[in-house]
Amino acid sequence: MDDVYVLGAGMTPFGKHPDRTAADLGAAAVLEALDDAGVALADIEAAWVGSVFQGMAMGQRALGDGGISGIPITNVENACSSGSTAIWDAAMSIRAGVYEVVIALGVEHLTGQFRGAFTPDESDIEAQRGLTMPSVYAMRAQRHFAEFGTTTEQLAAIASKNKRNAALNPLAQFKKPVTVEEVLASRMIADPLHLQECAPVSDGASAVVLVSKAKRDQLGRGRAIRLAASVLKSGRKEVGLPEMTFEDLTHRAAEEAYAVSGIGPEEIRFAEVHDCFSIAEALRVEGLGLFPRGEYPARVVKGEADLDGRLPVNGSGGLLGKGHPLGATGVAQVVEVVRQLRGEAGDRQIPGAKVGLAHCRGGKAQGVEGTACTVNILTV
Amino acid sequence: MTVVEANSEYDLEEDRVRLRAGRCPDCGAVFCPTGTVCAACGHRGLDEILLAPTATVYTYTRVHQSTPDFQAPYDLVYADFPENVRVMLPALGEGYPVIGEQVDIVLAPGPRVKDGQLIDMPHARTAAERSEHDG
Repeated sequence: MDDVYVLGAGMTPFGKHPDRTAADLGAAAVLEALDDAGVALADIEAAWVGSVFQGMAMGQRALGDGGISGIPITNVENACSSGSTAIWDAAMSIRAGVYEVVIALGVEHLTGQFRGAFTPDESDIEAQRGLTMPSVYAMRAQRHFAEFGTTTEQLAAIASKNKRNAALNPLAQFKKPVTVEEVLASRMIADPLHLQECAPVSDGASAVVLVSKAKRDQLGRGRAIRLAASVLKSGRKEVGLPEMTFEDLTHRAAEEAYAVSGIGPEEIRFAEVHDCFSIAEALRVEGLGLFPRGEYPARVVKGEADLDGRLPVNGSGGLLGKGHPLGATGVAQVVEVVRQLRGEAGDRQIPGAKVGLAHCRGGKAQGVEGTACTVNILTV
Repeated sequence: MTVVEANSEYDLEEDRVRLRAGRCPDCGAVFCPTGTVCAACGHRGLDEILLAPTATVYTYTRVHQSTPDFQAPYDLVYADFPENVRVMLPALGEGYPVIGEQVDIVLAPGPRVKDGQLIDMPHARTAAERSEHDG
């Protein structure tokens, strides 16, 4: 199987873009990724495009605006992991030897689309009884509190860390740091989660150009970042009384990524993880095996996940700080890891970063813990 | 118990709700709501059973912001049933539900709203509510 490399990365600012369309945002990310890779429109052999609420043929609309048409274009919907699933698909096509230069795009325009909290699909009995996405995570947080002694202040410290990092990221939705006290003073959404502990509604797009080893050697050895593992898993149907404080889905995806890459959790220098809520970041890094189970929130308070800590988590600001345009999120995480590994992360640069991990986990459906989860491991 | 109301989701026996569920005739795994295939062993076809009218709170939250279809604030619990299955239900009672407490499953209005009226649905009734009613 062929090795896969990220040769180009592009991303629009995340935030509220009421005057732009999803296609326009997508095209901007695509063109930036192509320029970054140093490849022409005609070099792209196939494309995968992740989005969730953008209607029919999002990929053709965005890529068409970006000057790409006629090639195989596949639209991908996999809840919040749609964009990272597009990367997984694109990477598989190179591993299989089918293509040598492909693009994965994630795009979402959500401004004006939702009233109130985000919910599972309406056909789901839990949604009909009042379950919202914040309340799913709130209940997992309450259980984390009961089992491990986690506190609201510790969860607020996760949100504060990510907003602090976002303030160093020019592409982030939130531009100023938020203190723990300010997080706790924001209004309650689902106890114990406050507004500042919930990812915002965002618009944005992100794209990566993936190439084979031969193309990397031909086009740009110096800037290429190796995609050492790209893994996709779906949630297992739950049987019995599973623990809601341990993510079987994240754990299984991570175990396979570590096995495929030959890189263990102890070698991961930094991580971008799916912090749709403050507690979510804890559940992710504990499921990934990057921190001991039950201990992450307390260790955030000690600074272990800060940019200058033992293992920086969500240096980009994460979903809480950078924003969460659903389909774009998983690709943006990989864009951030690429920029960190190239030393292009500006004020939030992690010194000496050689190995980074991107984790994206989306959705909730009746009877499954989560719908889809990707883990990408990248190295210089 | 006399069944006084039945629908696709539950039977109502006097004031207690018994949720309709499916049990695998092969391995015994229980699913609520029921399904076509047993997720544990792959057996096709589940037997219909009714869950016990009492359960134990696994976790809870109070929802302060929901969608326009629901009247917030309201409480939710994941409740563990003796048949080894977990079900999410709205909760009613005074104060917060408590992890580990026993709840009765009853029919009550809310939190869903339709045409300005709260809709009846199964709820987990916590001890506080029970003691108030019984006492």
